[in-house]
Amino acid sequence: MVDKRMKAFISAVLQGDCDRSVRVAQELKESGVSSEKIVVNGLETAMSALDAKCTLEEFNLLEIMLAGRAVMAVMKLLYPSGVTTNTSKGTVVIATLEGDVHDLGKNILKMVLIGKGYRVIDCGKDCPLPKLIEVTSSENPIAVGISGLITPVIAQVKQVRGLLDDRNLHQVKVIAGGAALKQSSPEKLNVDFVAESAFDCLHYLEKVAEVAI
Amino acid sequence: MNCLEKITATIKMQHVERVPVIAQVFGHAATLAGVSINQYVSDGETLARCQLNAQRKYGYDAVFSVMDTSVETEAMGSILHYYRNMYPVVAKHVLSPDIDLSDLVVPDPQEAGRMPEMLKALGILRKELGDETLVVGCVVGPFTLAGQLLGLENTLYLAIDNPERLERLLDFTTEVLISFGRAQLKAGAHLPIVFDPAASPAVIPSSFFREFEMPRLKRLFLALESMGSAGNWLHIAGPVTSILPYYRDAGVDIANFDYCVSMDEANNMLPAVCLDGNIKSLSFIEGTPAEIRKESKKLLSYFRERGGFILSSGCEIPPESRPENIAAMVQAVETKE
Repeated sequence: MVDKRMKAFISAVLQGDCDRSVRVAQELKESGVSSEKIVVNGLETAMSALDAKCTLEEFNLLEIMLAGRAVMAVMKLLYPSGVTTNTSKGTVVIATLEGDVHDLGKNILKMVLIGKGYRVIDCGKDCPLPKLIEVTSSENPIAVGISGLITPVIAQVKQVRGLLDDRNLHQVKVIAGGAALKQSSPEKLNVDFVAESAFDCLHYLEKVAEVAI
Repeated sequence: MNCLEKITATIKMQHVERVPVIAQVFGHAATLAGVSINQYVSDGETLARCQLNAQRKYGYDAVFSVMDTSVETEAMGSILHYYRNMYPVVAKHVLSPDIDLSDLVVPDPQEAGRMPEMLKALGILRKELGDETLVVGCVVGPFTLAGQLLGLENTLYLAIDNPERLERLLDFTTEVLISFGRAQLKAGAHLPIVFDPAASPAVIPSSFFREFEMPRLKRLFLALESMGSAGNWLHIAGPVTSILPYYRDAGVDIANFDYCVSMDEANNMLPAVCLDGNIKSLSFIEGTPAEIRKESKKLLSYFRERGGFILSSGCEIPPESRPENIAAMVQAVETKE
């Protein structure tokens, strides 16, 4: 019965049906399934299925947004205080840097990572570098994800690695993404990885998380 | 043959003596003149003087009265955050998803926000240049304006949760753009380019473009054409291959294509439509004149037989670009291999 219900839950998330996802998650909870199991067996499975569907050629952003909205609603049900117990995969700090308010890509990454069991600290859009570095210092993440749709943020992106190194945060990976940054390379941006999409970022993180554990 | 005639002939796929070259220089004109972007996007006279200065320096075939993509939404009440040397951004969107759409009023381009400054710039540019250089105004696309009014995420969710409501909002934004476009043509623009970044397949599925955006773009272009626009120029950045087949139906005369769309793809999808593109924007910052020249020559050679081509960048040439890279693109149309 639980298996059947879990399958229904995964299907609801994949279809981006927010109300049904929350309803079935509630039923799973009431039948004794732990929040952690709903995340690991339900949300993570749904996100993996979405990942497999979304190639670079067939990247349906809206489909991911809808599934992501369902993920966020379910997480709110499972962890009303916002504190998740499932942080074994590690923390990721994300931000859209100062001068840029195009945060759609960042928000999608956030939903995908939460759906895959990461703890995400979102510094928001138009985020000044000192704030990003402060948050990174205090949260001990495995990576920092920065997005940029416009070229003027590139100067800030190039500084992040050095600013983290100054604080001895050499182990924190710096990942860049977004329309402007995608045109460049890790060497030119002085980052560890340039992601083509939210799932490309996820694949890189999965490798980093494996090493970190 | 003056520049206007040259562009008109190129749109008709006729061969011209020299391929037109249009550098999409906006904020870079301010950087070049040592003026802040803030002043550039706030004052029509400054914008026009900077554009004239940049055009004289580089010698390309068009000037732009383009401020940023937030002019229309600001004119309707959105609050912007201004920076000294970056384009302003929306700090607070004027609409929320549950607002009563019947309350919306089309802003008066002669009075609202920075619209009059854009019109002033067009007047100065046309007076100075006549028909010798193409004078280009700018409106955003209907979907992009909806995103700027509501927030992009809200707009996308609205498309799923209440498509009829989105359609009504898009009908309204189309009216705003027709009104602003008409004022630009009256003020001196040969044509307004339509910037529609949010309609890119990087953001919305191509079926959405076909159902929601294409009919409104068609309405907008028909209206601009009836008011004397020299051509319908559509600019959507990113991987647009899947929506290119709809451009003809929308009435597009000049189709911009970005670096991530190949020449073959653009040519195969739109064999009889004038194309402009597609040098990577970032290469004007990171690249060298030799690289820009090589890219330019590749494009010129590919489209030599076909015609109907304007050498340009795939998207905006960033404000912080190296001047020698822009010069290299412009010079590429002058020199023979």
